[in-house]
Amino acid sequence: MVSGLGAEAFPRLVIGVIALLAVLAAFGIGNPPMETPPPVPPMVWMTAAVLLAFVGAVELVGMWPSAIVFLVGLGLLWGERSLWKLTASALALCAVLYGLFVRVLGGNFPKGLIANLWS
Amino acid sequence: MDAFLAGLAAVADPQILFLVLAGTVLGVVVGALPGISGSTTTALLLPLTITMTPNAAIAFLGSIYCAANFGGSITAILINTPGDPSASATAFDGYPLAKRGEAGRALGMSAVASAIGGIFSVIVLIIFAPVLARLAYQFGPPEYFALALFGLSMVAAVGGDSPVKNLMAAASGVLIATVGLDLTTGVERFTFGMPALSDGIGFIPVLIGLFAIAELLERASQRGVVQEYIKLNSARLPSLADFRKCAKAISVSSVIGTFIGMLPALGATTAALICYNETKRWSKHKEEFGKGAIEGVAGPEAANNAAVGGAMVPTLALGIPGSTTSAIILAGLLVQGVRPGPHLFNEQPTLLYVVFGSMLVANLLYLVLGLGAAKIFARIALIPDAFLWPAVFILSVVGAYAPNQSMEDVVIMLLFGGVGFLFRRYGFSPAPLIMGLVLGKLVEETLKQSLLIFDQDWTQFFARPVVVTLFLVTAAGLLAPPLLRASRRLRRVPMGKNV
Repeated sequence: MVSGLGAEAFPRLVIGVIALLAVLAAFGIGNPPMETPPPVPPMVWMTAAVLLAFVGAVELVGMWPSAIVFLVGLGLLWGERSLWKLTASALALCAVLYGLFVRVLGGNFPKGLIANLWS
Repeated sequence: MDAFLAGLAAVADPQILFLVLAGTVLGVVVGALPGISGSTTTALLLPLTITMTPNAAIAFLGSIYCAANFGGSITAILINTPGDPSASATAFDGYPLAKRGEAGRALGMSAVASAIGGIFSVIVLIIFAPVLARLAYQFGPPEYFALALFGLSMVAAVGGDSPVKNLMAAASGVLIATVGLDLTTGVERFTFGMPALSDGIGFIPVLIGLFAIAELLERASQRGVVQEYIKLNSARLPSLADFRKCAKAISVSSVIGTFIGMLPALGATTAALICYNETKRWSKHKEEFGKGAIEGVAGPEAANNAAVGGAMVPTLALGIPGSTTSAIILAGLLVQGVRPGPHLFNEQPTLLYVVFGSMLVANLLYLVLGLGAAKIFARIALIPDAFLWPAVFILSVVGAYAPNQSMEDVVIMLLFGGVGFLFRRYGFSPAPLIMGLVLGKLVEETLKQSLLIFDQDWTQFFARPVVVTLFLVTAAGLLAPPLLRASRRLRRVPMGKNV
């Protein structure tokens, strides 16, 4: 019934189009030259590392403790010096999100490996 | 008239009315945050609509869409940083006005012009969407295939300087849409044996990653840049003379903005930039532009809000998004199991009345909010990045995780955050990728169905007048700009001169 355009045909067609466009871009057709962007600042790498660390921490200690530590940690990394303001805002945000997504909408967020070992 | 009244009646439902109010306030508040565009706001809040009915979801998202465009002008005027890309033209004259101590005048004009443009475009939506749907009712899979191709080809003109890069991004979006189980053959594609990918890559984590996470990384690269904040010491509203001066700019921009919004893929940003130039061209006070011309605020603001209603015309009537944000709203409706298109007008007219009504009410609400509470909204722009962006990340994680309760979706969100960041660095726009992702399934399905109808004979496409017309328009749209540029370059080279 579907002879002629199997599951693999359409992705191949699209990849062919991308390859053709890449060749056009390489020859500068429809692709004006652009300046080489400056190197990625160290802060971006550090921020990206914190984001990845957060995902690892969620698996380990659960969503909400990780979120509080993350909010304070990234705030400090980005130059905020008032620890109490960061902590208070982190607690307030997590309380609102917990209330809305867990209490009202009935969502279940990861409790983490440690909490699962205890229970 | 019936649709108009039905729309208002649908919004009179207390639950819908509450969601319109919530969406409008959230749209203005989040739209006013520098760096968080209407698209990002809609993507971030999309997960909240999963538990809603389709009517409630579209009312909420539609209100956010209307209000976020206006919210973006607040930061454009006060700190010269558009909260939404569509407000970038507003900053050209809004910021100089604010520096002169006339921030209230600029914000007031922005609210009024935005509301007039927005309401005009909703009226056009009410009139034209059913007409377009009636025309499209005769369309079969070949016509839809040609229409989706036309929509994808239009992304060549969206954002960035490189049409080829835009097309590559759109094609990548189409390719990403092929991930998962192929429904016609049952074959898994690009899943690499991972069960989480069998159902394909979800819209929500991709949208949140491309917009919110990429913007977060972008902000990380700008740490240390000090912004000059202007105090809103004057809440003086525009005078009657201001409105008289801007009447032409508002009316012309409302018409142009609505028309540009109706073209697939072209949205509020294009409309605002074109209308800024048009307002300047038609103005009797050209010399004031760039130095604080009130018309320079009115024109682009009327246009970018008019583009909202315009963009919803092809989105609802054809299922082809008119802009990036309407592509996100379309994705939200698809998640709800609703596929917009001409059939929607017969099968679910109430949903359309809700769209009409909620957008009308949202435009009136942000006019009241803008005129009455501009000072409060302006304070939002003062939230330091060190508090704002970590909070946006947690909201993004919750949003990506909540619909499927899956950490894999959070990982996909982060992955696309990285993709979005690299896209921006290397001159790609994320908007075409979203268009490709949303239209990908439609392109593949209609191509397969068309070939079945044609008994695998490709040439049959050219036996259908609508298809041929759409193919010609697509080809003209793709080939005309480079050919015109080449001919202009040739004319500039003197005859007989060897280069």
